[in-house]
Amino acid sequence: MLELLDRGWRVIATAIAFSSFGLGGLLLRLVYFPLLQLIVRERARQTRLARLSIHHTFRLFIELMRVLGILRYDIVGAERLRRPGLLILANHPTLIDVVFLISLVPNADCVVKAALARNPFTRGPVRATGYICNDSGAGLVEDCVTSVHAGNNLIIFPEGTRTPVDGPMKLQRGAANIATRGPCTITPVTIRCEPLSLTKGLPWWKVPVRRMHFTIVVRDDIEVAPFLAGAGNEPALAARHLTDYLHDYFSTEKPAHAGA
Amino acid sequence: MTKQEMFDRLSAILQETFDIAPERIKPESRLYDDLDIDSIDAVDLIVKLKPIAGRRLQPDAFKSVRTLQDVVDALYGLMHDATA
Repeated sequence: MLELLDRGWRVIATAIAFSSFGLGGLLLRLVYFPLLQLIVRERARQTRLARLSIHHTFRLFIELMRVLGILRYDIVGAERLRRPGLLILANHPTLIDVVFLISLVPNADCVVKAALARNPFTRGPVRATGYICNDSGAGLVEDCVTSVHAGNNLIIFPEGTRTPVDGPMKLQRGAANIATRGPCTITPVTIRCEPLSLTKGLPWWKVPVRRMHFTIVVRDDIEVAPFLAGAGNEPALAARHLTDYLHDYFSTEKPAHAGA
Repeated sequence: MTKQEMFDRLSAILQETFDIAPERIKPESRLYDDLDIDSIDAVDLIVKLKPIAGRRLQPDAFKSVRTLQDVVDALYGLMHDATA
């Protein structure tokens, strides 16, 4: 009985949290960002402040979900995400991974699905922060390298989309290409959610049996120089080897589905 | 340069740059589906093909390219335009 009540509450709490997220996005777009653009004229400063605002908004959102009883979390090594000019690569089990990561990174840049730049709830923040849009085609890798060299902390999920619940993890080679062409040192972050929820294709109201528990660990940096040396300084080939390496690296983090 | 010579050069590039096994390299092999050449690799490939064509290559010329034979045909066409 108590269990059923707990689960029912978490469905309501998730509805509250997700509505707040949408409304927050709308408010930022209609009120906060227009004001910011009025007060701050310089474009670079606007972008920096917009990113900092998203960072704090996401911190608040994570706290809201914690207080509502949707999730708990442990974070290890967060201070190492505050160094400038990082290429942060993470596995991608759930819908809210990026919310966690941006809540830990004040100057985050990320690659955003072009559809989010058109969605009314996310358009404002996506445009104001100047996040990289994934519709720029061949120039995308170059844009990402430029961002890291400019001192931003670029967050990429090498899988490109959430990890499939059944079936193997599949990595795109884009992230490794950014690393080998930069060249940029990689700061890997592993994300674990138990019981696994908010996965691809799972509706938000299917809450897991127990409260979600996130374990986020910032791991030791991975240097790309050995990969380049091993591939005769051919970035495309080094990116293939690095992708295989990252695949094994992150696959060990993929837990079996808890089965709700 | 004959089409066969071009194919051999292309084959060498695919092996050196993308680590593709020689037995997978056939005229009918599709770049994306069979050889796993993505859009980032395609840009590299076009840069490497430049010395064969002997001039700058516009990525647009390779828009409709699907198979290795298509690549050779496109290159051959470009070179004959240049010498005509």
